[in-house]
Amino acid sequence: MTQPTAQSVMRNRAAVAEELRRLLPKMERFRATRPIPFGLAAIDRYLPQGGLACGALHEVVPDEGATPAAFGFLAALLARLSGTYPLFLVLPTYGLRDYGRPHSHGLNALGLDPSRLILAETAHRKDTLWAMEEALRSRAPAAVAGIIDQLDLKTSQKLHLAATDCGLPLFLLRPAKILEASAAATRWRVGPAPAARDRFGLITRARWRLKLERCRNGRAGEWMVEYDHVAHRFSLAAALADPAFPRSAGKEAFRQVS
Amino acid sequence: MLAITGAGGPRIAALNEAAEAFGLMLGEPLADARAKAGHVQTRAIDAAADDAALRRLALWATRYTPTASPWCEELWGEENGADGFFLDIAGAAHLFGGEERLLADLSCRLEKNFGLPARLAIADTPGMAWALARFARASSPVLPSGGEAQALAPLPVEALRLTADTCRALRRLGFKTIGTLLDKPRAPFAARFPAELLRRIDQALGRIEEPLVPIVAPPVYHTLRYLLEPLLTQEAIVALASRLMHMLMHVLTRDDVGARALRLSLYRVDGAVETIDIGLTLPTRNVAHIVRLIDLKLEKLAAAEDAGFGFEAVGLAVTRAETLAALQNELIAEDSVATNGAERCAVLVDTLRQRLGPHSVRSFEPIASHLPERAEELRPVTAEASAAWPEPEQKPRPLLLLPHAEPTEVMALIPDGPPRRFRWRGVTYEVTGSEGPERIASEWWRQPDGHRAPEPTRDYYLVEDSGGHRFWLYREGLYERETTAARWFVHGLFA
Repeated sequence: MTQPTAQSVMRNRAAVAEELRRLLPKMERFRATRPIPFGLAAIDRYLPQGGLACGALHEVVPDEGATPAAFGFLAALLARLSGTYPLFLVLPTYGLRDYGRPHSHGLNALGLDPSRLILAETAHRKDTLWAMEEALRSRAPAAVAGIIDQLDLKTSQKLHLAATDCGLPLFLLRPAKILEASAAATRWRVGPAPAARDRFGLITRARWRLKLERCRNGRAGEWMVEYDHVAHRFSLAAALADPAFPRSAGKEAFRQVS
Repeated sequence: MLAITGAGGPRIAALNEAAEAFGLMLGEPLADARAKAGHVQTRAIDAAADDAALRRLALWATRYTPTASPWCEELWGEENGADGFFLDIAGAAHLFGGEERLLADLSCRLEKNFGLPARLAIADTPGMAWALARFARASSPVLPSGGEAQALAPLPVEALRLTADTCRALRRLGFKTIGTLLDKPRAPFAARFPAELLRRIDQALGRIEEPLVPIVAPPVYHTLRYLLEPLLTQEAIVALASRLMHMLMHVLTRDDVGARALRLSLYRVDGAVETIDIGLTLPTRNVAHIVRLIDLKLEKLAAAEDAGFGFEAVGLAVTRAETLAALQNELIAEDSVATNGAERCAVLVDTLRQRLGPHSVRSFEPIASHLPERAEELRPVTAEASAAWPEPEQKPRPLLLLPHAEPTEVMALIPDGPPRRFRWRGVTYEVTGSEGPERIASEWWRQPDGHRAPEPTRDYYLVEDSGGHRFWLYREGLYERETTAARWFVHGLFA
C-alpha cells in the first residue's frame, strides 16, 4: 500500500521539479542558462539538468602527476563550447610551471581553435582571482578557465556567484595536494589512461579516467572516457575490448623488455 | 660659473650675477677669467642634465598649450642655444585673458616655481619671437602682426639664429644689424653665404613656414582644467577626469570618432608633470570605461607616484582618434557596458591590461615553422581579426610544451630506435607504445654565420608509459652522420 504512494509522490516531485526547471529560466534576468551536455548519456544522467550547469564553477583536479591529462580534459570541455565568443584562459606564471606552457598546435590537435583563446598572464594569486572575476563580469567570453592552486571557501563562493550572475561557466584547474571545501558545482578528478589506438597501434584518441567526485544536486560516478577531437565528442572507452592493449599492458611490456 | 671645453681650451658657458660683477663674459677663455677673478668657483657643464631640465620645463609648460617645443631638440640645433622653448599659443591666449596676461603669468610662475628669471616674447613666427626674447630692449614684448620687418631691423645679426661663422663673416663685411641686410638684393647673399641666412630671414618674417617640434605628440582633442585648490586624492582626480572626458565627448561625437589612445597629464604644484598613457583595443566613446581604466592605472601608480603638494592642473587629451560608427553609446547598454561581443571583449582586454601590464593579455598566432618552439607566437590581442589556424596536422603535437627541452636518460633497443625506458625528473617510465620518428631538421637559413655547425636534426617520438602518461621525446642528431652519442630530451607532454 505504501509502495505506490511513495512512487506517486516521487513522480509528483519529479513533475514539479520539471515544471520548476521550465519556469525558472524565464524568471532569470539574464540569458537562459542551458546546461552544457557531455553528449554522453552515461555521464549526463549523473548531472542535474542533464549537463554541466552553465552559470557555475567547475573544478578539475588532476591525479598525482596527471596535470597534462587534466588540462587536456579542460581544453576538451572548452572545445565543446561552440560559437564565436572567445574563450578566456587566466594563466598564472606559477600555475603550470613544472609542465611548461600550453602549446597552440597541441590545443588545435585537441579540437580547440587557438584563435578563440585569449590568454591573460598573471603574476599573483590576487591578480588571477581578479582577472577571472573581471572576465566573468564582462560577459565577453563564452567561458572562463583558470589555474589556481589554493582557493578558500569564501573566494570560491565569490567566483561561483560571479559565474551564476553572468551565466558563464568557470572551469578551474586545481593542481593542489590538499583541496579545501569549495562552492564548486562539480569536481572532476582526472587521471591518465592508455590512449585509444587503431589496428596499426597508432594513437587515435586521448583517453582519461574521469571521476565525478562532487556534484551538487547530482551523483558521483567514475568512467573511462575517450575524446574525439574531430567531432568534439566524448565516448566511453572500449579499451578493454582491445586485446592488443589491455589495461595492464605496462607490466607485460616490461616483462617482454627484460 | 660653468665651463665648457671648446677649441683653444675651456671657456665660460654660463655664469651667475656675482661672477658678472667681476666683468666676466660668456665665451671668455677660462684662463682669462681666472686672471680677472682668481677665486671663482668653476664646474664642468653637464649638457645631458641641462637637456633633461629643459625638457621637464617644456613639459610643465604644456599647461599653457599642448604644443611646447624645447630647443634641445635635434632639429633646432646648436645655434638656438638650447636654453629655452617655444610655445604655440594660437587659440590658447584668451584662456588667460590675453597675450600680455599669459606672459605675465608664465614669467611669474617660472620665477616662483623654479626660481628662473626668464626672457619672454610673443610674435607671429618662432624666429621673430626668438630674436625678441634674446635681443629686445623691452622686457616681455608682444609684437603685433605685420610688424616683423620693422622690429627686426634694429636687432644685431646674431638675432637671426645663424651659425657663429656666418655671423662673423657678416660683421666683417659691415652688416651689424639685420636692417642693413633686409633692403639689399637677395641674389648676392644667396651666392656668397650658406642657405641658412636667407632661410632664417624668411622664417623670421614669416615668408616660409617653420614647424615646431612638440615635446609630446600633439593631441587630437585636448582639455585642461586649472584648480584653485590642489587635488590630492585619487578619487578627486578620477572624478575630475570623468568630467574632462564628458567635455571631450561632445567633440568626439560631433566628429564621429572614438578614442584609441588617451593621455592624462597631472601638473604638480612644484612643477613636475605626471603623464599617464592609456591605450584602447577598439575606439570608444564610453566614458565609464575610460574612467575605469584611469582609475585602475592610478591605483597601480599610487604606490610609486608621489603627489607632493597636490596637482594644480589636470589635462586629458585624446592622442589617437579613429572613426567610430555612431551606434555605440551608453544609452543602449543597461549597465553602461557596451553590448556587442567584440566591444565587450575589447573593454575586458583594456581593463585587464591596466592592472596586469600591457603585454599580459595575448593570443596565439601561428608561425610557418616546423620547429615546435618557433611555430607559435603570443601577440597582444588586437581588434583586427587574427590569422586563421591551419587544420590540425596528423602529426602529434603536445598539449604542453616545456620552455626548454629537458635532457633525459633513455634506454633503447637499437641506437636509432624508439625508447623503451627513460628517466625524467627522477622517475623511471616504462614505455609501452611509441609513435615516430618524426624528423624535424634545423632551420639552416636562420643560422647567423656560415661556419657555425647547424643545430642537429631531431627525431621526435610520441611515447606512452604504462600509466597512460604521454610524452614527446626527441633524439638529437642523426646517428653516425651528426653524432655518435645521441642525447635525448623531453620536449612536451600530451593530454
